[in-house]
Amino acid sequence: MSEQNISVALDRDIRGLSLADEKVAIEVKDWNLYYGSKQALKSINMVVPENRVTAFIGPSGCGKSTLLRCFNRMNDLIDIVNVKGCMTLHGDDMYAKEMNVASLRRRVGMVFQKPNPFPKSIYENVAYGLRLQGINDKTTLDETVEWALKGAGLWDEVKDRLNENALGMSGGQQQRLCIARAIAIKPEVLLLDEPTSALDPISTLAIEELIFELKKEFTILIVTHNMQQAARVSDYTAFMYMGELIEYTDTDTLFTNPQMKRTEDYITGRYG
Amino acid sequence: MERTEFKTHISEQLNRNLEDLFNLVLEMGGLVERQLENAVKALSNGDVELAKEVLVIDRLINKEEVEIDRLCASVLARQQPTASDLRLIIMAIRIAVDLERMGDEVTKTAKLVVKLSDKGVACPDLPGYAELLEISNTANAMLKQVLNAFARLDLSEVIQILDEEERMDRLLKVAIAKVVDGFHAAQIDPECLLEMVYALKASERVTDHAANIAESVVYLVEGRDIRNIDPEKLTAFLNNLK
Repeated sequence: MSEQNISVALDRDIRGLSLADEKVAIEVKDWNLYYGSKQALKSINMVVPENRVTAFIGPSGCGKSTLLRCFNRMNDLIDIVNVKGCMTLHGDDMYAKEMNVASLRRRVGMVFQKPNPFPKSIYENVAYGLRLQGINDKTTLDETVEWALKGAGLWDEVKDRLNENALGMSGGQQQRLCIARAIAIKPEVLLLDEPTSALDPISTLAIEELIFELKKEFTILIVTHNMQQAARVSDYTAFMYMGELIEYTDTDTLFTNPQMKRTEDYITGRYG
Repeated sequence: MERTEFKTHISEQLNRNLEDLFNLVLEMGGLVERQLENAVKALSNGDVELAKEVLVIDRLINKEEVEIDRLCASVLARQQPTASDLRLIIMAIRIAVDLERMGDEVTKTAKLVVKLSDKGVACPDLPGYAELLEISNTANAMLKQVLNAFARLDLSEVIQILDEEERMDRLLKVAIAKVVDGFHAAQIDPECLLEMVYALKASERVTDHAANIAESVVYLVEGRDIRNIDPEKLTAFLNNLK
Protein backbone atom coordinates (compact mmCIF):
# COMPACT_ATOMS: atom_id res chain seq x y z
CA MET A 1 0.00 0.00 0.00
CA SER A 2 1.53 3.33 -1.02
CA GLU A 3 1.83 6.23 1.40
CA GLN A 4 -0.76 8.12 -0.61
CA ASN A 5 -3.23 5.23 -0.47
CA ILE A 6 -2.76 5.00 3.27
CA SER A 7 -3.49 8.68 3.76
CA VAL A 8 -6.58 8.44 1.52
CA ALA A 9 -7.79 5.44 3.53
CA LEU A 10 -7.22 7.31 6.80
CA ASP A 11 -9.14 10.37 5.59
CA ARG A 12 -12.14 8.42 4.37
CA ASP A 13 -15.18 8.80 6.58
CA ILE A 14 -16.45 5.55 8.01
CA ARG A 15 -20.08 5.66 7.02
CA GLY A 16 -22.73 3.51 5.48
CA LEU A 17 -25.44 4.20 2.95
CA SER A 18 -26.90 7.64 2.49
CA LEU A 19 -30.16 8.55 0.75
CA ALA A 20 -28.42 11.59 -0.70
CA ASP A 21 -26.21 9.32 -2.84
CA GLU A 22 -29.05 7.23 -4.25
CA LYS A 23 -30.92 7.30 -7.55
CA VAL A 24 -34.59 7.99 -6.97
CA ALA A 25 -37.22 5.46 -8.06
CA ILE A 26 -40.29 6.86 -6.31
CA GLU A 27 -40.81 10.32 -4.89
CA VAL A 28 -43.60 11.07 -2.45
CA LYS A 29 -44.54 14.68 -1.74
CA ASP A 30 -46.97 15.87 0.92
CA TRP A 31 -48.99 12.66 0.60
CA ASN A 32 -52.28 12.39 2.52
CA LEU A 33 -54.86 9.62 2.49
CA TYR A 34 -58.33 9.58 4.03
CA TYR A 35 -60.67 6.66 4.69
CA GLY A 36 -63.88 8.72 4.60
CA SER A 37 -63.29 11.44 7.17
CA LYS A 38 -60.52 9.58 8.95
CA GLN A 39 -57.02 10.60 7.91
CA ALA A 40 -54.80 7.51 7.64
CA LEU A 41 -51.67 9.06 6.11
CA LYS A 42 -50.47 12.50 7.12
CA SER A 43 -48.26 14.56 4.87
CA ILE A 44 -45.75 11.87 3.95
CA ASN A 45 -42.59 13.05 2.22
CA MET A 46 -39.94 10.58 1.12
CA VAL A 47 -37.85 9.28 -1.74
CA VAL A 48 -37.55 5.57 -2.40
CA PRO A 49 -34.09 4.70 -3.76
CA GLU A 50 -33.64 2.57 -6.87
CA ASN A 51 -32.35 -1.01 -6.56
CA ARG A 52 -32.52 -0.93 -2.80
CA VAL A 53 -34.77 -2.57 -0.26
CA THR A 54 -36.84 -0.09 1.73
CA ALA A 55 -38.70 -1.45 4.74
CA PHE A 56 -41.72 0.05 6.46
CA ILE A 57 -42.14 -0.74 10.12
CA GLY A 58 -44.53 0.47 12.81
CA PRO A 59 -47.33 -0.72 15.05
CA SER A 60 -50.60 -2.06 13.64
CA GLY A 61 -52.71 0.69 12.15
CA CYS A 62 -49.76 3.05 11.63
CA GLY A 63 -50.47 3.26 7.90
CA LYS A 64 -47.55 1.26 6.52
CA SER A 65 -49.67 -1.15 4.45
CA THR A 66 -51.93 1.71 3.36
CA LEU A 67 -48.89 3.60 2.11
CA LEU A 68 -47.51 0.51 0.36
CA ARG A 69 -50.81 0.05 -1.45
CA CYS A 70 -50.61 3.63 -2.68
CA PHE A 71 -47.53 2.73 -4.73
CA ASN A 72 -49.59 0.67 -7.18
CA ARG A 73 -52.92 2.38 -6.57
CA MET A 74 -54.50 -0.60 -4.87
CA ASN A 75 -56.41 1.87 -2.73
CA ASP A 76 -58.34 2.91 -5.85
CA LEU A 77 -60.38 -0.23 -5.25
CA ILE A 78 -61.72 1.15 -1.96
CA ASP A 79 -64.58 3.58 -2.54
CA ILE A 80 -64.16 5.72 0.55
CA VAL A 81 -60.47 6.42 -0.04
CA ASN A 82 -59.37 9.91 -0.99
CA VAL A 83 -55.80 10.93 -1.61
CA LYS A 84 -54.04 14.27 -1.80
CA GLY A 85 -50.44 14.99 -2.72
CA CYS A 86 -47.99 13.85 -5.35
CA MET A 87 -46.36 10.52 -6.06
CA THR A 88 -44.02 9.92 -8.99
CA LEU A 89 -42.42 6.78 -10.38
CA HIS A 90 -39.23 7.59 -12.26
CA GLY A 91 -40.65 11.05 -12.81
CA ASP A 92 -44.12 9.95 -13.98
CA ASP A 93 -47.05 11.22 -11.92
CA MET A 94 -48.63 7.97 -10.68
CA TYR A 95 -51.95 9.64 -9.92
CA ALA A 96 -52.22 11.73 -13.10
CA LYS A 97 -55.56 11.52 -14.94
CA GLU A 98 -53.88 10.12 -18.03
CA MET A 99 -52.05 7.42 -16.05
CA ASN A 100 -53.37 3.99 -17.02
CA VAL A 101 -53.71 2.07 -13.74
CA ALA A 102 -53.22 -1.33 -15.37
CA SER A 103 -49.97 -0.20 -16.95
CA LEU A 104 -48.87 1.33 -13.63
CA ARG A 105 -49.43 -2.03 -11.96
CA ARG A 106 -47.33 -3.68 -14.63
CA ARG A 107 -44.52 -1.37 -13.54
CA VAL A 108 -45.20 -1.92 -9.83
CA GLY A 109 -45.77 -5.58 -8.91
CA MET A 110 -47.06 -6.79 -5.60
CA VAL A 111 -46.85 -9.87 -3.39
CA PHE A 112 -49.19 -10.31 -0.45
CA GLN A 113 -49.05 -11.77 3.03
CA LYS A 114 -50.78 -15.01 2.13
CA PRO A 115 -49.52 -16.86 -0.94
CA ASN A 116 -52.26 -16.63 -3.54
CA PRO A 117 -51.35 -18.72 -6.58
CA PHE A 118 -54.04 -19.29 -9.19
CA PRO A 119 -55.54 -22.81 -9.27
CA LYS A 120 -53.52 -23.51 -12.39
CA SER A 121 -50.25 -25.18 -13.21
CA ILE A 122 -46.95 -23.77 -11.93
CA TYR A 123 -46.08 -22.80 -15.50
CA GLU A 124 -49.37 -21.04 -16.17
CA ASN A 125 -49.16 -19.08 -12.92
CA VAL A 126 -45.90 -17.50 -14.04
CA ALA A 127 -46.98 -17.10 -17.66
CA TYR A 128 -50.31 -15.52 -16.71
CA GLY A 129 -49.17 -11.89 -16.69
CA LEU A 130 -47.43 -12.32 -20.03
CA ARG A 131 -50.50 -13.90 -21.63
CA LEU A 132 -52.56 -10.97 -20.35
CA GLN A 133 -50.19 -8.73 -22.26
CA GLY A 134 -50.92 -10.76 -25.38
CA ILE A 135 -47.64 -12.65 -25.38
CA ASN A 136 -48.35 -16.23 -26.47
CA ASP A 137 -45.16 -17.15 -28.31
CA LYS A 138 -44.05 -20.44 -26.75
CA THR A 139 -40.31 -19.75 -26.84
CA THR A 140 -40.74 -16.34 -25.21
CA LEU A 141 -43.04 -17.80 -22.57
CA ASP A 142 -40.72 -20.74 -21.85
CA GLU A 143 -37.72 -18.48 -21.52
CA THR A 144 -39.48 -15.98 -19.30
CA VAL A 145 -41.03 -18.64 -17.05
CA GLU A 146 -37.61 -20.22 -16.56
CA TRP A 147 -36.00 -16.81 -15.92
CA ALA A 148 -38.67 -15.82 -13.39
CA LEU A 149 -38.60 -19.16 -11.56
CA LYS A 150 -34.81 -18.99 -11.40
CA GLY A 151 -35.06 -15.42 -10.16
CA ALA A 152 -37.44 -16.57 -7.44
CA GLY A 153 -35.08 -19.37 -6.45
CA LEU A 154 -37.63 -22.01 -7.38
CA TRP A 155 -36.49 -23.42 -10.71
CA ASP A 156 -34.48 -26.36 -9.41
CA GLU A 157 -37.35 -27.48 -7.20
CA VAL A 158 -40.08 -27.34 -9.87
CA LYS A 159 -38.45 -27.68 -13.29
CA ASP A 160 -39.59 -31.30 -13.60
CA ARG A 161 -43.19 -30.63 -12.60
CA LEU A 162 -44.11 -27.36 -14.27
CA ASN A 163 -47.49 -28.71 -15.29
CA GLU A 164 -48.54 -29.72 -11.79
CA ASN A 165 -51.11 -27.66 -9.95
CA ALA A 166 -49.50 -24.82 -7.99
CA LEU A 167 -51.81 -25.43 -5.04
CA GLY A 168 -49.92 -28.67 -4.34
CA MET A 169 -46.76 -26.75 -3.42
CA SER A 170 -45.68 -25.90 0.13
CA GLY A 171 -46.50 -22.44 1.53
CA GLY A 172 -42.93 -21.23 1.09
CA GLN A 173 -42.83 -22.50 -2.49
CA GLN A 174 -46.20 -20.90 -3.24
CA GLN A 175 -44.93 -17.56 -1.98
CA ARG A 176 -41.83 -17.83 -4.16
CA LEU A 177 -44.12 -18.72 -7.05
CA CYS A 178 -46.07 -15.52 -6.39
CA ILE A 179 -42.77 -13.62 -6.49
CA ALA A 180 -41.90 -15.35 -9.78
CA ARG A 181 -45.32 -14.38 -11.14
CA ALA A 182 -44.76 -10.79 -10.07
CA ILE A 183 -41.29 -10.49 -11.62
CA ALA A 184 -42.18 -12.35 -14.83
CA ILE A 185 -43.56 -9.15 -16.33
CA LYS A 186 -40.36 -7.33 -15.29
CA PRO A 187 -41.77 -4.53 -13.17
CA GLU A 188 -39.60 -1.65 -12.00
CA VAL A 189 -40.77 -1.92 -8.42
CA LEU A 190 -41.81 -4.86 -6.27
CA LEU A 191 -44.09 -4.32 -3.28
CA LEU A 192 -44.01 -6.99 -0.59
CA ASP A 193 -46.72 -6.83 2.05
CA GLU A 194 -45.71 -9.07 4.98
CA PRO A 195 -44.40 -11.66 2.51
CA THR A 196 -43.19 -14.15 5.12
CA SER A 197 -45.63 -13.82 8.00
CA ALA A 198 -47.40 -17.04 6.99
CA LEU A 199 -44.16 -18.99 6.51
CA ASP A 200 -41.88 -21.11 8.69
CA PRO A 201 -38.36 -19.83 9.61
CA ILE A 202 -36.54 -21.73 6.86
CA SER A 203 -38.92 -20.60 4.09
CA THR A 204 -38.65 -17.10 5.57
CA LEU A 205 -34.86 -17.16 5.24
CA ALA A 206 -35.16 -18.40 1.64
CA ILE A 207 -37.42 -15.45 0.80
CA GLU A 208 -35.11 -13.01 2.59
CA GLU A 209 -32.16 -14.32 0.56
CA LEU A 210 -34.26 -13.91 -2.54
CA ILE A 211 -35.07 -10.30 -1.67
CA PHE A 212 -31.34 -9.64 -1.38
CA GLU A 213 -30.78 -11.08 -4.88
CA LEU A 214 -33.83 -9.40 -6.44
CA LYS A 215 -32.78 -5.89 -5.48
CA LYS A 216 -30.09 -6.05 -8.15
CA GLU A 217 -32.88 -5.83 -10.72
CA PHE A 218 -35.81 -4.32 -8.90
CA THR A 219 -36.58 -1.61 -6.41
CA ILE A 220 -38.16 -3.35 -3.44
CA LEU A 221 -40.48 -2.03 -0.77
CA ILE A 222 -41.43 -4.28 2.07
CA VAL A 223 -43.89 -3.96 4.92
CA THR A 224 -43.11 -6.19 7.85
CA HIS A 225 -44.18 -6.66 11.45
CA ASN A 226 -40.96 -8.50 12.10
CA MET A 227 -38.40 -5.86 13.00
CA GLN A 228 -35.49 -8.25 12.85
CA GLN A 229 -36.56 -9.05 9.31
CA ALA A 230 -36.54 -5.36 8.40
CA ALA A 231 -33.09 -5.11 9.96
CA ARG A 232 -31.87 -8.17 8.04
CA VAL A 233 -33.16 -7.44 4.56
CA SER A 234 -33.48 -3.71 4.10
CA ASP A 235 -31.06 -0.96 3.14
CA TYR A 236 -33.35 1.79 4.36
CA THR A 237 -36.07 1.69 6.99
CA ALA A 238 -39.04 3.95 7.51
CA PHE A 239 -40.73 4.01 10.90
CA MET A 240 -44.39 5.06 10.82
CA TYR A 241 -46.68 5.92 13.69
CA MET A 242 -50.32 6.97 13.54
CA GLY A 243 -50.19 7.85 9.87
CA GLU A 244 -46.99 9.84 10.08
CA LEU A 245 -43.53 9.05 8.82
CA ILE A 246 -41.56 9.52 12.03
CA GLU A 247 -38.09 8.56 10.92
CA TYR A 248 -36.61 7.39 7.64
CA THR A 249 -32.93 6.62 7.27
CA ASP A 250 -30.43 3.89 6.44
CA THR A 251 -31.19 0.70 8.32
CA ASP A 252 -27.91 0.57 10.24
CA THR A 253 -28.52 3.99 11.72
CA LEU A 254 -32.17 3.38 12.47
CA PHE A 255 -31.41 0.22 14.42
CA THR A 256 -28.29 1.42 16.24
CA ASN A 257 -28.87 5.13 16.76
CA PRO A 258 -32.38 6.33 15.92
CA GLN A 259 -32.83 10.06 16.36
CA MET A 260 -36.49 10.11 17.38
CA LYS A 261 -37.63 8.91 20.79
CA ARG A 262 -40.75 7.27 19.29
CA THR A 263 -38.58 5.16 17.00
CA GLU A 264 -36.28 4.19 19.86
CA ASP A 265 -39.24 3.24 22.09
CA TYR A 266 -40.81 1.15 19.34
CA ILE A 267 -37.75 -0.77 18.16
CA THR A 268 -36.48 -1.41 21.67
CA GLY A 269 -39.93 -2.49 22.85
CA ARG A 270 -40.40 0.24 25.45
CA TYR A 271 -43.59 1.79 26.70
CA GLY A 272 -43.94 4.95 24.60
CA MET B 1 -30.66 9.77 27.99
CA GLU B 2 -31.64 8.58 31.45
CA ARG B 3 -30.59 5.34 33.10
CA THR B 4 -34.24 4.74 34.03
CA GLU B 5 -35.11 4.40 30.32
CA PHE B 6 -33.45 0.99 30.39
CA LYS B 7 -36.13 -0.13 32.83
CA THR B 8 -39.12 0.78 30.65
CA HIS B 9 -39.23 -2.14 28.23
CA ILE B 10 -42.41 -4.13 27.92
CA SER B 11 -40.21 -7.17 28.51
CA GLU B 12 -39.44 -7.30 32.24
CA GLN B 13 -36.83 -9.90 31.47
CA LEU B 14 -34.94 -7.45 29.28
CA ASN B 15 -35.25 -4.76 31.98
CA ARG B 16 -33.75 -7.13 34.51
CA ASN B 17 -30.95 -8.28 32.23
CA LEU B 18 -29.88 -4.75 31.34
CA GLU B 19 -30.01 -3.65 34.98
CA ASP B 20 -27.89 -6.68 35.89
CA LEU B 21 -25.46 -5.70 33.17
CA PHE B 22 -25.09 -2.16 34.50
CA ASN B 23 -24.51 -3.57 37.97
CA LEU B 24 -21.97 -6.15 36.81
CA VAL B 25 -19.92 -3.54 34.95
CA LEU B 26 -20.01 -1.21 37.96
CA GLU B 27 -19.09 -4.06 40.28
CA MET B 28 -16.15 -4.97 38.06
CA GLY B 29 -15.12 -1.31 37.94
CA GLY B 30 -15.36 -1.19 41.75
CA LEU B 31 -12.92 -4.09 41.98
CA VAL B 32 -10.41 -2.31 39.73
CA GLU B 33 -10.85 0.80 41.89
CA ARG B 34 -10.05 -1.22 45.01
CA GLN B 35 -7.06 -2.72 43.26
CA LEU B 36 -5.73 0.72 42.33
CA GLU B 37 -6.25 2.05 45.85
CA ASN B 38 -4.43 -0.92 47.33
CA ALA B 39 -1.60 -0.58 44.81
CA VAL B 40 -1.10 3.09 45.71
CA LYS B 41 -1.17 2.33 49.43
CA ALA B 42 1.20 -0.61 49.00
CA LEU B 43 3.53 1.59 47.01
CA SER B 44 3.47 4.42 49.57
CA ASN B 45 3.96 2.15 52.57
CA GLY B 46 5.99 -0.64 51.01
CA ASP B 47 3.17 -2.96 52.15
CA VAL B 48 3.82 -6.36 50.55
CA GLU B 49 0.62 -7.98 51.92
CA LEU B 50 -1.53 -5.32 50.31
CA ALA B 51 0.43 -5.73 47.07
CA LYS B 52 -0.35 -9.46 47.14
CA GLU B 53 -4.04 -8.70 47.62
CA VAL B 54 -3.90 -6.73 44.36
CA LEU B 55 -2.90 -9.94 42.60
CA VAL B 56 -5.81 -11.84 44.15
CA ILE B 57 -8.36 -9.17 43.18
CA ASP B 58 -7.09 -9.44 39.61
CA ARG B 59 -8.41 -12.99 39.46
CA LEU B 60 -11.82 -11.81 40.63
CA ILE B 61 -11.81 -9.13 37.93
CA ASN B 62 -11.06 -11.72 35.25
CA LYS B 63 -14.06 -13.73 36.44
CA GLU B 64 -16.33 -10.71 36.23
CA GLU B 65 -15.35 -10.20 32.60
CA VAL B 66 -16.44 -13.73 31.75
CA GLU B 67 -19.76 -13.14 33.54
CA ILE B 68 -20.39 -9.91 31.60
CA ASP B 69 -19.60 -11.61 28.29
CA ARG B 70 -21.96 -14.44 29.14
CA LEU B 71 -24.82 -12.09 29.96
CA CYS B 72 -24.23 -10.01 26.82
CA ALA B 73 -24.19 -13.11 24.60
CA SER B 74 -27.40 -14.30 26.19
CA VAL B 75 -29.21 -10.98 25.67
CA LEU B 76 -27.97 -10.78 22.07
CA ALA B 77 -29.12 -14.31 21.30
CA ARG B 78 -32.47 -14.19 23.07
CA GLN B 79 -33.66 -10.62 22.91
CA GLN B 80 -32.07 -9.12 19.80
CA PRO B 81 -31.55 -5.69 21.36
CA THR B 82 -31.58 -2.59 19.15
CA ALA B 83 -30.69 1.11 19.41
CA SER B 84 -29.55 2.19 22.91
CA ASP B 85 -30.02 -1.37 24.23
CA LEU B 86 -27.70 -2.68 21.51
CA ARG B 87 -25.19 0.08 22.19
CA LEU B 88 -25.26 -0.82 25.88
CA ILE B 89 -24.46 -4.46 25.11
CA ILE B 90 -21.63 -3.65 22.70
CA MET B 91 -20.14 -1.10 25.07
CA ALA B 92 -20.47 -3.35 28.14
CA ILE B 93 -18.34 -5.91 26.29
CA ARG B 94 -15.77 -3.24 25.38
CA ILE B 95 -15.73 -1.69 28.85
CA ALA B 96 -15.25 -5.13 30.41
CA VAL B 97 -12.21 -5.67 28.17
CA ASP B 98 -10.76 -2.32 29.22
CA LEU B 99 -11.40 -3.01 32.90
CA GLU B 100 -9.80 -6.43 32.66
CA ARG B 101 -6.69 -4.93 31.04
CA MET B 102 -6.62 -2.23 33.72
CA GLY B 103 -6.60 -4.96 36.33
CA ASP B 104 -3.64 -6.63 34.63
CA GLU B 105 -1.73 -3.36 34.43
CA VAL B 106 -2.26 -2.56 38.11
CA THR B 107 -0.60 -5.83 39.05
CA LYS B 108 2.66 -4.47 37.60
CA THR B 109 2.77 -1.86 40.37
CA ALA B 110 2.07 -4.58 42.93
CA LYS B 111 4.90 -6.66 41.48
CA LEU B 112 7.22 -3.66 41.76
CA VAL B 113 6.41 -3.40 45.48
CA VAL B 114 7.10 -7.12 45.99
CA LYS B 115 10.35 -6.95 44.02
CA LEU B 116 11.64 -3.92 45.95
CA SER B 117 10.82 -5.62 49.22
CA ASP B 118 12.79 -8.71 48.13
CA LYS B 119 15.75 -6.54 47.21
CA GLY B 120 15.44 -4.43 50.35
CA VAL B 121 15.07 -1.20 48.38
CA ALA B 122 12.66 1.53 49.59
CA CYS B 123 10.18 2.65 46.92
CA PRO B 124 10.63 6.41 47.46
CA ASP B 125 14.35 6.02 46.71
CA LEU B 126 13.64 5.05 43.11
CA PRO B 127 13.67 7.65 40.34
CA GLY B 128 10.14 8.09 38.91
CA TYR B 129 8.51 7.26 42.24
CA ALA B 130 6.68 10.59 42.59
CA GLU B 131 5.42 10.33 38.99
CA LEU B 132 4.29 6.73 39.51
CA LEU B 133 2.26 7.83 42.51
CA GLU B 134 0.75 10.72 40.58
CA ILE B 135 -0.10 8.60 37.55
CA SER B 136 -1.65 5.90 39.75
CA ASN B 137 -3.68 8.43 41.75
CA THR B 138 -4.82 10.14 38.55
CA ALA B 139 -5.73 6.77 37.05
CA ASN B 140 -7.86 6.06 40.09
CA ALA B 141 -9.58 9.44 39.87
CA MET B 142 -10.20 8.91 36.14
CA LEU B 143 -11.63 5.47 36.78
CA LYS B 144 -14.05 6.90 39.36
CA GLN B 145 -15.07 9.56 36.84
CA VAL B 146 -15.72 7.12 33.98
CA LEU B 147 -17.64 4.74 36.22
CA ASN B 148 -19.81 7.65 37.34
CA ALA B 149 -20.26 8.70 33.71
CA PHE B 150 -21.37 5.15 32.86
CA ALA B 151 -23.63 4.77 35.90
CA ARG B 152 -25.38 8.09 35.28
CA LEU B 153 -24.97 8.25 31.48
CA ASP B 154 -23.47 11.66 32.13
CA LEU B 155 -20.85 12.99 29.70
CA SER B 156 -20.03 16.22 31.52
CA GLU B 157 -16.56 15.05 32.60
CA VAL B 158 -15.46 13.39 29.37
CA ILE B 159 -13.34 16.31 28.17
CA GLN B 160 -11.54 16.42 31.50
CA ILE B 161 -10.88 12.67 31.38
CA LEU B 162 -9.41 12.85 27.87
CA ASP B 163 -7.27 15.86 28.85
CA GLU B 164 -5.93 14.05 31.90
CA GLU B 165 -5.00 11.08 29.74
CA GLU B 166 -2.83 13.35 27.57
CA ARG B 167 -1.26 14.93 30.64
CA MET B 168 -0.32 11.44 31.87
CA ASP B 169 1.36 10.67 28.52
CA ARG B 170 3.59 13.68 29.08
CA LEU B 171 4.25 12.81 32.72
CA LEU B 172 5.28 9.29 31.71
CA LYS B 173 7.95 10.71 29.41
CA VAL B 174 9.35 12.81 32.26
CA ALA B 175 9.37 9.79 34.58
CA ILE B 176 11.05 7.48 32.06
CA ALA B 177 13.77 10.09 31.49
CA LYS B 178 14.44 10.09 35.25
CA VAL B 179 14.69 6.30 35.35
CA VAL B 180 17.06 6.33 32.38
CA ASP B 181 19.24 8.75 34.36
CA GLY B 182 19.03 6.23 37.21
CA PHE B 183 20.44 3.54 34.91
CA HIS B 184 23.31 5.84 33.96
CA ALA B 185 24.04 6.69 37.60
CA ALA B 186 24.26 2.94 38.30
CA GLN B 187 23.61 3.31 42.03
CA ILE B 188 20.41 1.28 42.11
CA ASP B 189 19.92 -2.35 41.13
CA PRO B 190 18.93 -2.23 37.41
CA GLU B 191 16.34 -4.97 38.01
CA CYS B 192 14.48 -2.58 40.33
CA LEU B 193 14.72 0.20 37.76
CA LEU B 194 13.38 -2.10 35.11
CA GLU B 195 10.39 -3.00 37.31
CA MET B 196 9.88 0.72 37.79
CA VAL B 197 9.72 1.23 34.01
CA TYR B 198 7.16 -1.56 33.72
CA ALA B 199 5.06 -0.10 36.54
CA LEU B 200 5.19 3.41 35.09
CA LYS B 201 4.22 2.24 31.62
CA ALA B 202 1.46 0.06 33.04
CA SER B 203 0.01 2.85 35.16
CA GLU B 204 -0.09 5.13 32.16
CA ARG B 205 -1.88 2.37 30.23
CA VAL B 206 -4.51 2.33 32.96
CA THR B 207 -5.28 5.96 32.11
CA ASP B 208 -5.49 5.01 28.40
CA HIS B 209 -8.09 2.39 29.25
CA ALA B 210 -10.02 4.91 31.35
CA ALA B 211 -10.08 7.20 28.31
CA ASN B 212 -11.30 4.27 26.16
CA ILE B 213 -14.14 3.72 28.59
CA ALA B 214 -15.03 7.41 28.39
CA GLU B 215 -15.24 7.02 24.59
CA SER B 216 -17.43 3.96 25.01
CA VAL B 217 -19.80 5.89 27.28
CA VAL B 218 -20.04 8.66 24.67
CA TYR B 219 -21.03 6.06 22.06
CA LEU B 220 -23.53 4.51 24.45
CA VAL B 221 -25.20 7.83 25.23
CA GLU B 222 -24.89 9.70 21.94
CA GLY B 223 -24.47 6.94 19.36
CA ARG B 224 -21.37 8.76 18.12
CA ASP B 225 -18.03 7.00 17.72
CA ILE B 226 -15.37 9.52 18.80
CA ARG B 227 -12.35 7.26 18.42
CA ASN B 228 -9.62 8.74 16.24
CA ILE B 229 -11.61 11.78 15.24
CA ASP B 230 -9.92 15.06 14.53
CA PRO B 231 -9.17 16.82 17.89
CA GLU B 232 -10.89 20.04 16.82
CA LYS B 233 -14.06 18.22 15.77
CA LEU B 234 -13.95 16.24 18.99
CA THR B 235 -13.70 19.35 21.16
CA ALA B 236 -16.55 21.01 19.24
CA PHE B 237 -18.70 17.90 19.60
CA LEU B 238 -18.01 17.47 23.32
CA ASN B 239 -18.56 21.16 24.04
CA ASN B 240 -21.89 20.98 22.24
CA LEU B 241 -23.04 18.26 24.61
CA LYS B 242 -22.88 20.59 27.59
